[in-house]
Amino acid sequence: MKFLFKSIVLLLPLAFIAMFYILLTDEDAYPGTDYKTFDIPKFQLENLENTKLIDNDEIKGSFILNVWASWCITCRVEHPFLMNLKNQGIKIIGLNYKDERSDAIEWLDKYGNPYEITVHDLKGSLALDLGVTGAPETFLVSNGKVVAHYQGEVNDAIWSNVFLPIIKEKGMF
Amino acid sequence: MHPHRRKRLFNIILVLLFSTSGIGLILYSLNTNLDYFFTPTELKNINIQEDKRIKIGGMVLENSVVREQSKVIFTVTDYKNYIEVVYEGIVPDLFKEGSGVVALGFMQNETFYAQEVLAKHDENYMPPNLNINNDN
Amino acid sequence: MIIEISHFLSILATGLFLLVGLISFITTDTKYTANLISRTFSHGFLLLLVSFIIYIWLAITDNFSVQYIANHSNTELPVFYKISSIWSAHEGSMFLWIIFIALWGFIFNINIKNDEVLKPKSIGVISLILVGFLLFLLLTSNPFEIILPIAPLNGADINPVLQDPALAIHPPTLYLGYVGFVIPFACAISFLINGNPDVRWEKLVQKWSVLAWVFLTIGITLGSWWAYYELGWGGYWFWDPVENVALMPWLAATAFLHSLSVSIKSYHLRVWTILLSISVFSLSLFGAFIVRSGIIDSVHSFANDPDRGLYLLMFIGIILIISLSLFILRFSMIRPIGNIKRFSKESFISINNIFFGSLIFSVMLGVTYPLVYEYLFDQKISVGAPFYNAIFIPIVLIASLFLFLSVDSKWSRNLNFNFFRSPMIVSIILSIASVIVLIYFFQTNNLTFLISVYVGLLIIFRYCIEIFNSFYFKKFINPFSAIAHLALGLLLLSISFNSLLSTERALSIRLDSIEEYKDLKIYFKDIKVVKNSNHDSIKALFFIENSRGNIVELSPEKRRYRTRGQITTETAIHISPLRDIYITIGDQLDNGNWVVNVQLNYFIRWIWFSGCLMAMAGIVLIFSKRKV
Repeated sequence: MKFLFKSIVLLLPLAFIAMFYILLTDEDAYPGTDYKTFDIPKFQLENLENTKLIDNDEIKGSFILNVWASWCITCRVEHPFLMNLKNQGIKIIGLNYKDERSDAIEWLDKYGNPYEITVHDLKGSLALDLGVTGAPETFLVSNGKVVAHYQGEVNDAIWSNVFLPIIKEKGMF
Repeated sequence: MHPHRRKRLFNIILVLLFSTSGIGLILYSLNTNLDYFFTPTELKNINIQEDKRIKIGGMVLENSVVREQSKVIFTVTDYKNYIEVVYEGIVPDLFKEGSGVVALGFMQNETFYAQEVLAKHDENYMPPNLNINNDN
Repeated sequence: MIIEISHFLSILATGLFLLVGLISFITTDTKYTANLISRTFSHGFLLLLVSFIIYIWLAITDNFSVQYIANHSNTELPVFYKISSIWSAHEGSMFLWIIFIALWGFIFNINIKNDEVLKPKSIGVISLILVGFLLFLLLTSNPFEIILPIAPLNGADINPVLQDPALAIHPPTLYLGYVGFVIPFACAISFLINGNPDVRWEKLVQKWSVLAWVFLTIGITLGSWWAYYELGWGGYWFWDPVENVALMPWLAATAFLHSLSVSIKSYHLRVWTILLSISVFSLSLFGAFIVRSGIIDSVHSFANDPDRGLYLLMFIGIILIISLSLFILRFSMIRPIGNIKRFSKESFISINNIFFGSLIFSVMLGVTYPLVYEYLFDQKISVGAPFYNAIFIPIVLIASLFLFLSVDSKWSRNLNFNFFRSPMIVSIILSIASVIVLIYFFQTNNLTFLISVYVGLLIIFRYCIEIFNSFYFKKFINPFSAIAHLALGLLLLSISFNSLLSTERALSIRLDSIEEYKDLKIYFKDIKVVKNSNHDSIKALFFIENSRGNIVELSPEKRRYRTRGQITTETAIHISPLRDIYITIGDQLDNGNWVVNVQLNYFIRWIWFSGCLMAMAGIVLIFSKRKV
């Protein structure tokens, strides 16, 4: 009895701590995060603003690739945060996804343009190659290689927990 | 067995009996009072009893909010499926079309009668479990 | 530059506290080391205090080169809110939390003489806990970080919901309560290390524990009051996970105080007392963990950060392993000597401990079960008010009945069940009579209501008789117990009446027209847009007439803050002793009507008054000369 009591007193709280440890380090802590590394697939698409053709050579170095569309509600929620990033001097390239050119340009005029270049992917071909399932999605690209992929709205918490650690580790920007 | 020992055994059994039945009762009431959370898509695929209180979460569909007297009627969606929600009362400050919402209430004939409508006190709130996949 | 001084001082303080911890645990206790520990600890505290004062000064003078201040304060804010902005987010509130631990330690240090056997090790334990938290602050959530290259001119706008006097003082009060239990915890550990069962650590910590409990009680009451008028939902308790993690330490602390009073009188219940002292402190830390790890979504929680959560979790784990191992090691030393008489006060209090234990267990289950369930079955669930009501109502009522029986019980003696001469029968008759009147008056057969009211009245009558006896017959009475339990009776009554009588209705009402609701005539006089310095607001004006012809003016608002575009609801409340008229304004309908939510909240003030009365009882004990 005494032994039983003692072991319960010690083991119960520890089991509890262990349980929270498992919950906290659960990989799904940020569902929608993927750290697979791969090269940006070959593509040739129009620039949203001036219809010039863009291919892999035009988007080099390290940047954030943000998939968005004017019909996407969450993109508008995400938008101020991207403007914020741009103001911090972070290079963002937009991938306008399955969107009418006029709608997209109007959207950017209305809310502001956080993107250095916006690639117009009307059919969603590059998006398909990248593994995009919807909008918004965001990729972290380091020297032409995708190093992180997040499905959903990027905000402060996602930025500092999903992207910033990699950015710091790789010394990007 | 010594009477002393017998008394001790009796005490142990008493303690075990009381604690297990106590914990059992607590667990039972926990189990009967859980609110399950569903997205509109999940809700389409299962049958919910009309008297079972549940939570639904999703985005308020744009142009779907109608106000009738003191009732608010709107559609909650995860961009795959849609559910009509009826709520009597004042919706929270952060409730707006195209933003996330969680409602607590009962499902009756394809319509959700909400007792409570919540929007979190944070502009970045997205309802949990909602992988927006609005690929139209 | 100045911020670096502040940063440096806190690092230096960390070093000093580490030194204190080391000295107290590796040297043998002598007069010399006791003095050294005491002095070094005070120096550490002073360094930390100066560091914090500098930080406050930087916040007041809008030094936005400090990132945290730039993100959470604004030049436009009044000085009061500039200071309170320090604890409006994670880093700064952690800093405050640490200052409070050090403050408790410091006051304990200067109040207790150095020749107290338990003191050096207690100070050592407090120092090591401080080191743990300071490292957490400096490594994972540094409030001293500097913005490079250019600081913003005006700072950020802080969340208007948080610009509120109650919210500015609610976290500090709650923190003072939470961390105050570091004193009994440290003394319990010191007692266990010391290993001499005749050392009475219980006497040493009683007043400290009561003081911490007072802060916790006030903090929770303030939080409830804030949520009532600010969030616009009109309730006083929402069983929100963060409220629950504040409630658990309070429950544990209350049980601890009860248990402590037994252990002071005799050597009984020492196992309980020590386990409870460890529980209170670890539950406080657990609260910090839940709020700061982002593991739970809540109105109150800070931003997500698993790293912080992990650190805190490990910290709690280490504290638990060490303290519980010590407990097991010394178990035979604190084992009870002799049996408790079956109907003595000790016995009632040990039953009380079991009730409180079940309540804590249930709340813990309610908080953690959804997390585990989601992890295992990938299905979101939540545990709401129905569960907590199903648990709390019966347990609290039964525990209160036991309390009623225990009033007549004596220390170490069996209760003398002499029904007919005891005041017990008088209270029973009075309560039954009152309940019959209530049934007649309210025409209700709501059994939960009637039973709760009955139990509440039993306690109130019983203690009133007790107080009466003490005035007229100089019968001994423990004022702390009497006031605190009266407050409990009052709380039961007010909650019962509140849930029986309170109603709400959303009305659709046209400008310049009258709607009736219950006994009220609501006249919608005016609605206009008002421009203020940082927000625009829609302000309505209502004249409300009750059945007796009294007219009150209420003007609820809807505000839109310019910098963030955030919309907030400002409720308008008319307070009277029995009920609040609580009005919020919603949206305009297509036909021009406005949706207005009217709530009648009965006895809601009495709920907070009961909370304050409980806290008052604690203050009475702290200032009473006599040993209780």
